[in-house]
Amino acid sequence: MEHLTTDALARLVDEVPSPEESGHLEACEVCAAELDALREQTDQLGALPAMRPPQGDWEALEARLLAEGLIHSDSVIPFGRSRRRWGTAIQAAAALVLFVGGAALGTQFRGGEPGAIEGGPLAGPASLVDTPTSDVALATLEDAAEDVRQKEQDYIEAMIRYRQLLEASGRGGTQGQDPASRYAALEAVMAASQAAVREAPADPFLNGILASVSAERQAFVRSLSETGRDNWY
Amino acid sequence: MTESQLIRRAGDGDAAAVRALYERYSPRVFAVVRRIAGDDELAKDYAQEAWIRAIRALPTFRGDARFSTWLHRIAVNAALQANRKADTRKKREAPMPEAVPVAPRSSDSLLARRLEAALDRLPEGMRRILTLHDVEGYTHEEIGEMLGINSGTSKSQLSKARAKMREMLRGLENPAQDQGAEAWSI
Repeated sequence: MEHLTTDALARLVDEVPSPEESGHLEACEVCAAELDALREQTDQLGALPAMRPPQGDWEALEARLLAEGLIHSDSVIPFGRSRRRWGTAIQAAAALVLFVGGAALGTQFRGGEPGAIEGGPLAGPASLVDTPTSDVALATLEDAAEDVRQKEQDYIEAMIRYRQLLEASGRGGTQGQDPASRYAALEAVMAASQAAVREAPADPFLNGILASVSAERQAFVRSLSETGRDNWY
Repeated sequence: MTESQLIRRAGDGDAAAVRALYERYSPRVFAVVRRIAGDDELAKDYAQEAWIRAIRALPTFRGDARFSTWLHRIAVNAALQANRKADTRKKREAPMPEAVPVAPRSSDSLLARRLEAALDRLPEGMRRILTLHDVEGYTHEEIGEMLGINSGTSKSQLSKARAKMREMLRGLENPAQDQGAEAWSI
């Protein structure tokens, strides 16, 4: 018996066989099995997962977008440029704490009215890490990394919302024009960073984040004192 | 924030909104350009080009199609055009993809890697057709339009590509049976 060619079988993955081909497939286990394998292969190709871009991809794109004037430099989110440089499980776990904090910070602003920012106190360190998402069981490092990525996205969207609310309240788009909220946000990020460093005291990346936030807070306080705005809180 | 708000802000040059769109869609964009490119370094360039084109075109996005569909088509076109321009071809030796597959379960990971490795080794024409049809789900009519061929040609090339893929996967399972990909071209 002459078998069907692989090309012919590949065509039959999504085409109806001719009567001759149909008869052959009923009689020939080898060709029937090969057709099943080709169908399985097609299903598997359709189920291939998306791929995380390599490290540094966003940074390169951001630089080009800035160079081409497609984004404004004053709208670039701080602390985001080196988040992809984690390479170990402990970094992912510790960073999760940081971004859960970020997401919780964002939750303070999400869905709120502009006026709520001024009067509403921000959550302290304990509530920053005590969110429902911290209870999610993460079975693998890939799951943990994906969860961190999701938190990062939530954080970014929350920061956009925060800026929108600032704009809506008539204080412009820069955080520096709202000292109380700006300081409260820095304090909250500081607390989340400290919590992350407590989880992984030797982690250089997280310590770097903490140092950056600390420096930014000091610079912010200094700039306030220099301009004599000492009654803002 | 709704997606349309995010898109509008990104179109106005808000870096954070662009970043949010990137975080949401970059795995899918990178996957399709990576599979068309068959190479990590080329894929980085293709992905960046796709995003630049998309952000540049954002003000023209009217919402007639889903944003993900619109963006995906831009990514495919950017990769196909860049691919056509490339005048040198690297010999493909089944490199493992550098990029990390998003969220495959461990039991599926090996299978996915094997499929990606086999895709990388396919001749360029076959890889394009197989990626566009079997991985991305485009129709032969859509593929014909993208590649400037008729749908019948797309169908016949798909059959050849599937057959070659099958042969290569058997080869990866049993290297002695691998006949080599370089003899094939369409």
